[in-house]
Amino acid sequence: MADIPITTHVIEFPYTRTLGPVIGPFLTGLRDGQILGIRSVDGRVLVPPTEWDPETGMPLDPAGLVPVGPGGVVETWAWVTRPTAKHPLAHPFAFALVRLDGADTALMHAVDAGSIESMATGMRVTAKFRDERHGHITDVVFVPEERA
Amino acid sequence: MSEQPVVAASDSEQPVVMMDYFMHLEYREVVCPIVRRYADALMDGKILGQISPTSGLVYVPPRSYCPVSCEWLGEDHLVELEDHGVVTNFTIVTPVQYYGQEETEPFAKASVLLDGPGGMLGLQDILDLPVDELRVGMRVEAVWLPPEERTKDEIGNRSWGSVDGAIRGWRPTGEPDVPAEQFLDKVY
Amino acid sequence: MPIDIAIVGYAQSPSWERSELTEVQFLFPVIAEAIAMAGIDRRDIDFTCAGSCDYLSGQTFAFVSNLEAVGAWPPISESHVEMDGAWAMYEAWVALQHGDIDLALAFGSGKSSPGDPMQIYPLQMDPYTLTPLGADPTSLAALQARALLDSGRITEREMAEVAARNRRDAVANPYAQISGEEDVDALLASPYVTAPMRDHDLPPFSDGACAVILATADRARALSDNPVWIRGIDHRIEIHQPGMRDLRESPSTAAAGKGAGVADGPVDLAELSVAYTHQERILTDALGLGAGVKVNLSGGPLTANPMMATGLSRVAEAARAIQRGDGRRAVAHATSGQPLQQNLVCVLEGER
Repeated sequence: MADIPITTHVIEFPYTRTLGPVIGPFLTGLRDGQILGIRSVDGRVLVPPTEWDPETGMPLDPAGLVPVGPGGVVETWAWVTRPTAKHPLAHPFAFALVRLDGADTALMHAVDAGSIESMATGMRVTAKFRDERHGHITDVVFVPEERA
Repeated sequence: MSEQPVVAASDSEQPVVMMDYFMHLEYREVVCPIVRRYADALMDGKILGQISPTSGLVYVPPRSYCPVSCEWLGEDHLVELEDHGVVTNFTIVTPVQYYGQEETEPFAKASVLLDGPGGMLGLQDILDLPVDELRVGMRVEAVWLPPEERTKDEIGNRSWGSVDGAIRGWRPTGEPDVPAEQFLDKVY
Repeated sequence: MPIDIAIVGYAQSPSWERSELTEVQFLFPVIAEAIAMAGIDRRDIDFTCAGSCDYLSGQTFAFVSNLEAVGAWPPISESHVEMDGAWAMYEAWVALQHGDIDLALAFGSGKSSPGDPMQIYPLQMDPYTLTPLGADPTSLAALQARALLDSGRITEREMAEVAARNRRDAVANPYAQISGEEDVDALLASPYVTAPMRDHDLPPFSDGACAVILATADRARALSDNPVWIRGIDHRIEIHQPGMRDLRESPSTAAAGKGAGVADGPVDLAELSVAYTHQERILTDALGLGAGVKVNLSGGPLTANPMMATGLSRVAEAARAIQRGDGRRAVAHATSGQPLQQNLVCVLEGER
């Protein structure tokens, strides 16, 4: 295949999205160093918060946004040996489902654990906020609690 | 490398109501065999097409099939096309300065129906002519790049109609216009 | 009650790591072969539905170009889903239910080799909380696999055994991309790609296509003495956020299986969209398939994974297995979204 010509091209879209009454406060919270969940119809706390109840489809009241975390428990995890250009960290890290304290569902996010040996199901992690934050999901990353 | 939002640091007093996400994807594609033949011919100053024996339609660049008669086209169906023809349609684009737009002045893109066996090249540049003088029926000829300046780099599977890298564009020949009635079935 | 619909023709391309042909070029002979198998003229087709994803090849309106392989002149009645071709077949099945048409073509195709699916697929995730993390299919499958491993319902050895069995079965499959005899201990000795997933736990991302021809009952009997009947078909979807689901279960597969009537009779074989080794356990449990059911005799998606055609290929492989005499009643399964978020189940039966 070495002699066969290959064409390259790039697609780029600069998306700008409106955030609405629930995701807006959630990302505002991240910018301000706080993680918010929302109360579902049956009283559970959902993280990330959703505009609609996942069980019933009913709209959820933004007044039901409540702080959760910053600590939580790893429910399951995956060790990313070779991060892609789209991943939030350029070095090996874990993706994890983190059930934050006060939440009834788990948030998928990155755990900057250093090595796979530092990861375990059931371990405690805590949110570490970046110094410069923009109201973006990558304003935060999780780290093992004993290292925080 | 993570993709950070392109937005500047927000005013911390204001709620976050918008989110930017910069989507960037890169693609690398092998040029398909029939387009490789086409690209090689362009380097030799020849425009190759494929003619369908059933529909009589001519495809340039060749694509290995005729979508109208639904038959596979092979090497036997290759045909050398003329490098002159007639403008059958055009559009004048007034560039809006959206992300990625590099043009600043109005420009024309024309459909050129080649003489002889035929073949339609879309979205061609017409050279040496103010855009408001471009008209349907105008006769044009290819302006080839010198052989040493030609390159196949721009020719890929997705550039149906592309002569980029070999032909700079098309210039009016000054011959009398062709009456539009002669190509009303080929105005795309 | 739905009216009876049968599969009277099907065809697949090989699964390639990187095809030199364009998507239309490799789709062209697949559609021609399916039409030839059905013994019809392409102009007899009343409705066409395609499944594909323009982001894979990065070509805008690639799905329109794909119609060039169908023969869309004079104009035809057609539709497109940005999903696996199995959902295109579902739409064609629904169209046939109206009773005013009797022949439909459904196909799925994808050319994933020009791009990087690991960077493209995060774009199908929640744009606020998951796309910006680059939440990729391998990582999401790995989260699911770990949850299943932690529950004790599967072991890494059992996952490797699925891979080894699939690759061994794929030796006889001319469309497979990966095949061969594997030693399970050797597989387990290989390093993790994204722990707990090793290379053999992950599918190839293939280029390829699949097409099927559906016919109403009278037309099917006129065309074929051995049609494969669609006895039931259903699809269901779950919550998108992976942390709001129990990833160890697939209630959407279970619901679709119930809707399609999987349990209404004995199942001889199943073609399941097991793109990740651990998912075989989740899917067979959700569908209630016992140890006697032959799963993925073709080798399955772990050996041939033409994006956007993998699910429809399960239908084609199951139909082929029935006509070959491997069984009389089969389950075909397709999935969409990560990991196993949306699932389609189809029950197929042979004439005899």
